[in-house]
Amino acid sequence: MSLSSALQQLASYRANNTRASQETFKKGVTILKSRNAPNLGEDGWAFLEQLALASIDIGRLDVADECTKQLSEKFPNSPRVAVLVGIRKEASESPESVLRYYDGVLEEDSANAAIWKRRISVLKRIGKTEKAVDELSKFLDTFYTDVEGWLELADIYSSCNQYTSSLQALSHALVLAPQNPFTALQFAETAYTAGDLPLALKMFLVVTEMVERDIPAPEDSAPTGISVRAWWGVKLCSRRLIESPPSSPSASDTPVPKTIKLIDELATERVLTSYSGEQGAEGRQLVSQWISAY
Amino acid sequence: MSTSAVSLYLDPQIRDWVLFPITLVMILVGILRHYVVLLLQSSPKKQPRAAIREQRALARSQILRATASNSPLPPHFYTSISRHLSDAFEAGTYLKDGPPKGDAPSTPPNPITDPAAMDGMMAGMKTQMVMMVPQMVIMGWINFFFQGFVLIKLPFPLTLGFKSMLQRGIETPDMDVRWVSSLSWYFLNFFGLNGLYRLILGSDNSADSSRDMTASPFANAGAASPGQPQDYNKLFKAERDNLQFSEGMYSWVGKDIENKVLSRYGKI
Repeated sequence: MSLSSALQQLASYRANNTRASQETFKKGVTILKSRNAPNLGEDGWAFLEQLALASIDIGRLDVADECTKQLSEKFPNSPRVAVLVGIRKEASESPESVLRYYDGVLEEDSANAAIWKRRISVLKRIGKTEKAVDELSKFLDTFYTDVEGWLELADIYSSCNQYTSSLQALSHALVLAPQNPFTALQFAETAYTAGDLPLALKMFLVVTEMVERDIPAPEDSAPTGISVRAWWGVKLCSRRLIESPPSSPSASDTPVPKTIKLIDELATERVLTSYSGEQGAEGRQLVSQWISAY
Repeated sequence: MSTSAVSLYLDPQIRDWVLFPITLVMILVGILRHYVVLLLQSSPKKQPRAAIREQRALARSQILRATASNSPLPPHFYTSISRHLSDAFEAGTYLKDGPPKGDAPSTPPNPITDPAAMDGMMAGMKTQMVMMVPQMVIMGWINFFFQGFVLIKLPFPLTLGFKSMLQRGIETPDMDVRWVSSLSWYFLNFFGLNGLYRLILGSDNSADSSRDMTASPFANAGAASPGQPQDYNKLFKAERDNLQFSEGMYSWVGKDIENKVLSRYGKI
């Protein structure tokens, strides 16, 4: 493979955020050997960063060191290189010394978001969940628009069974990315786990509406992708709501819809439609058994 | 018209020693100042965490308000976020220097005494100087040596309206508009070389001088560092009212979602 096509491939990896580390490493090392990065122009530095990350991924720390050395010579005070050095340290050194390094960087520049996030991830990795949550909340209080941060916080909370807090974190992610049905689905599922069935039902319905909005005749087509999951959610919620209507209002004060029976019928229909066709025959039978069992 | 067009004959020396030098000097000066500006530009100043937090707090409530009329958030969650922000703005939690103490009237910070703001302004002035001084020198040079020169004849006819544009510095009512005077040639270059700079230096160059005519040093400084002296306390107080308005406008996407879905499937 020629150098220019390898470079082109690597640039497209960078643009698409592809992590193919093994591939990147193979191509990157040939480029690194054949000539120096400075000859590649401005793109060369981004390439070095990419190669460093890929070689850390596959454990070739010597190559990573070579890349970081070249980068830190060119950009002595760059926060981006500081992050790279931190990641390199995480690969081989003890978490304590990595944390010390991150603390040092943060002391100089308290607003270095990338370093801050890495620090939080190290804290989470070594099991200091409480500290990680604390730091992450502070981080998100400053850098509110970080959707991934909110999702991570929600994840940590629900791994500790703190579903209400998790829902709160998810609600911020929902405001920041209202167009993403996956966030809404996660919100619905977390609400279901937290036992807030009316809220979960509504959110599942929102997801189905969001996903099937652009389908011209939704009743004729089988649900696909996440809408299958959302319809299952609707079915589960509506069944439990019909079976034992809640006596007290739910935690979020969401009323149970009056048309709950109709929704249950529709959900049953939609869930069964998703098992249509040859491959779905077996699943369809199991599902109908499960549905008629109640 | 046609007789007057041939009535003038330009010395080729004018072309070689006036027309080309003016054009060349202007191009070179443009390129030079691009690099001078690059040298003068100081790297954006790092801001401490508290300052960033203060700046971005407004964005939080703006995001919330933007989605209010069709909000993805259930009412319970919306009001909790909205109330939380509103309380924080009231108490001044997001202010850089902590909540204001006592009830001393808050004075807007003076930009002259604030060194951070001063830096931004100075940077703007410095680039302005680099932009304006060479242009003044070139214009003086042309005015001094080549005043009243006719440099070229445009290869296409023009209406009389262009006379003041193309024959600046020559007071002849009868000359054909196609002749261009030295000062006008300078102005044509001044406004027209931008495309050439973009080819040579890339689209983000600072060689273009016609841009400075509209920009003031203060506007430039304001764009460079959004943390210009602003009384955040006042902004936060105003934002509280906005939050309350939005709370009135709020409606949840999922409010009637069951009927919407059912009617879409033709069930009701």
